[in-house]
Amino acid sequence: MNGWTLAATVGLAGGLGTALWGVATGPLRRRVVAQNLSTALACPGLLLLSQAYGRPSYVDLGLVLALLGPVGTLVFARLLADELAEDPPRAWGPTWAVAGLGAATVIALCVATGPSRAMVKLLVIGALLIGGNVIASRALSGGFRGVRRG
Amino acid sequence: MSPRTTLLAAGELAAWWAGFALLWLVLISTVDTLERVIGAAAAALGALAARSARRAVSGP
Repeated sequence: MNGWTLAATVGLAGGLGTALWGVATGPLRRRVVAQNLSTALACPGLLLLSQAYGRPSYVDLGLVLALLGPVGTLVFARLLADELAEDPPRAWGPTWAVAGLGAATVIALCVATGPSRAMVKLLVIGALLIGGNVIASRALSGGFRGVRRG
Repeated sequence: MSPRTTLLAAGELAAWWAGFALLWLVLISTVDTLERVIGAAAAALGALAARSARRAVSGP
């Protein structure tokens, strides 16, 4: 076990475990936020495991998750729009904390990778991860209500 | 379609194509001729789709 494996284990067990607990319990506004953050927590874990196992192609799993996670949240935001409008989630603290975790992970991996195409790929994944989750969080809290029929 | 709008459409498609082709080159593991050909073709399809999507959202 090296440091990358340890970080991935802590991130997946602690972060994803907490997120799954949040998805399974509590009111709807907490569940949708936890669902949104679960993919944002799993993605850095997969990136860390890719580095831990020395398999650069495993980074693609993180790329797919960074792309499809926020899209899935947007589907929930659309389908649950009426329920969420009555009781909108306010979770900017956890959202930015998870975004910071993702940024720290990507920066650490970039330093380990060094300047190369692989580093640009990591930066693209980081931008998709953070941007996607901030947009999805805003959609959940009703930030795009004006474009519901857009 | 006037020459000006044709030129604008071609310019927009070229800009999308360049962006997608660059993204392809960044995301693949090994760069060789086959990857370049496939990437250029995929980027061309993506450019057409992106322009259509942009026009569907914000108009022509």
